[in-house]
Amino acid sequence: MINRRNFLGLGLGAIAVAAIPGKLSAIDFRETMPKAWTATKVDDAVKEVFGKTATTEGSIKLNAPDIAENGAVIPVSFETDLKATKVAVFQDANPESTVAVFTIHDNAVIDYAIRIKLAKTGTVTVIAEADGKLYSVSKLVKVTIGGCGG
Amino acid sequence: MATRIKAKVKKDITEVKALANHPMLSYQEAKRANKEANFITHFMAEVNGKVVYEVSTSQFLSKDPYMKFSFKGAAKGDEIKITWKDLKGATEVETAKIK
Repeated sequence: MINRRNFLGLGLGAIAVAAIPGKLSAIDFRETMPKAWTATKVDDAVKEVFGKTATTEGSIKLNAPDIAENGAVIPVSFETDLKATKVAVFQDANPESTVAVFTIHDNAVIDYAIRIKLAKTGTVTVIAEADGKLYSVSKLVKVTIGGCGG
Repeated sequence: MATRIKAKVKKDITEVKALANHPMLSYQEAKRANKEANFITHFMAEVNGKVVYEVSTSQFLSKDPYMKFSFKGAAKGDEIKITWKDLKGATEVETAKIK
């Protein structure tokens, strides 16, 4: 039973990948780094996503509210002039630490905004990898009403 | 379940605001609501066949994910194509013209 389910899963996975026409440049980190999504501590998650944890502070501007009244919708935006190839957003308030991992393509202008959920007050960290070095910036966001439904 | 796209180009930099329609149920929320967790896991934008924005996402993005991003090299009239897929394997593709 388990073997069959695994086999079917593999088959579906293969079809899904094949169905996406020649996206050589598209990288789905959920498939290429599954452990990044289950890491429960920010350091572990950073290690899964970037392979190392040493970071230099700065070079990224991070905008997030000091106090979020609604933990379910917290606007987070960041911008940087770094020639980054990968940027990831982490936080330490939710069960798992990784929020999003951006692949930066040529021509991208790193000026991104997203909306996230925080279960409680926590620190949002954005890390960018440029020229093999990691740059990070963090901000504490106070949450009055938790964002994960409680 | 359409994705709304607003793309504007100014001096070679195109800024896009996209709003996807998705419940984005995290594992915690799904358990509480007795539903299955489901959330967008990958989101990508292409212009003229090149990927200009790409992000792998988690259950921690807000419901009806809003994303703003910018890139260079596109012109007014170019078409931007946004593709996302979720945990259950559903995908959605939406296109819009850059103004």
